[in-house]
Amino acid sequence: MAERDDILDSAIESLRELPLVRPEATARLLIAIAAERQRVREAGVAVDRRGLRRWAWAGIATVIAASVGLLLMPPNATRDDRSLARETADRANTSPVIVASHDARGAEAPRAVELVFSAPAARSVRVVGDFNGWNERLTAMVRDDASGLWSARLMLRPGRHVYAFVVNDTQWMRDPRAPAAPDADFGRAGSVLLVGRP
Amino acid sequence: MTTRPRPFEIVRGGGPASPAAPETRSLLVHAARLGDVRAFAELVDTYYARCLRFALHMLASRDDAEEAVQDTFIRVYRALPKYEEREAFEPWLFRILANRCRTAGGRARRHADLVEYGDVPERPSVHAEDEAFAWREAIQSALATLPRDQREAFLMRHVEDLSYEDMSTATGARVSALKMRVKRACDAMRNLLSESDRNG
Repeated sequence: MAERDDILDSAIESLRELPLVRPEATARLLIAIAAERQRVREAGVAVDRRGLRRWAWAGIATVIAASVGLLLMPPNATRDDRSLARETADRANTSPVIVASHDARGAEAPRAVELVFSAPAARSVRVVGDFNGWNERLTAMVRDDASGLWSARLMLRPGRHVYAFVVNDTQWMRDPRAPAAPDADFGRAGSVLLVGRP
Repeated sequence: MTTRPRPFEIVRGGGPASPAAPETRSLLVHAARLGDVRAFAELVDTYYARCLRFALHMLASRDDAEEAVQDTFIRVYRALPKYEEREAFEPWLFRILANRCRTAGGRARRHADLVEYGDVPERPSVHAEDEAFAWREAIQSALATLPRDQREAFLMRHVEDLSYEDMSTATGARVSALKMRVKRACDAMRNLLSESDRNG
């Protein structure tokens, strides 16, 4: 007996119909993926920082060891021996410079940034970006009924940020007043925001 | 000047299952594996509707199906760097999807609960003829009576058009076992639908 026949063919044809994909479902997925990407990036940065810390401690230890070596070095040590010890100490000194910048906490403190977006017909506008893990639920914008402008006040650390607006929970738009991000996530438009140090 | 909002692309019901040609799909997978996020978004556009169709037929509710598909793509994204390109992408994708459906099916309502199947697949003609609607209900009902492994094999073979070799990759079962599952599923579907046809 054949595997397929008319009745089965008809059923299969019906089962093959594709369901409509809800735009908010793909929007939610792409935002989740963007958050995942951000998480991976941050994990990479954390690993780098751990590496830097290890280098810093290794550097400090080397400086101490080299200094002790210089002090203990007998006066009749050759010129090459002294140069080598100083070079070692110098090299060790240059490594932790990046780590030292963490002490300047004032310069790294978050700064207030006001984002404004014109969308008079929108029912809702939210901000997503690397600063909120691309979570569309975290940063809702407030509408000014008179002007149709939406605004949100964010506290952002100095540096480069990429962000976008999610309009009516489904439409991802970049900020037309800011430069487009060349590394926009998933082909969806994003904008670049540079927050300067005080 | 305000830029007009650009909506996300929607895969329409009844359209092609995978709009991109096979070569394009391979390139997309290759680019996505190397970290090209636009390519990954294209893969989502290409496969989301198919994955959703499979999940809807495997699970009891739209919400469970959506969750399984979302979870699948997130897992695909995480696993892409380890994906070996000599392995075909579709069976790999369906392996993850089938696993998610099994997990979701295990904790969710029983498949026999068909309350939410009335609107699947969604399309404008759903209000049309009662006969067509009843026929679709009969199909869903027959599908729901199949054991999970038979339903999965039947859908992969006859709805998703996977080869038995690809199905073997996707399920981990042997080809001979899969052929048996598909045959039993076809026999059961045929009997149930013929009966429904006679009674209807």
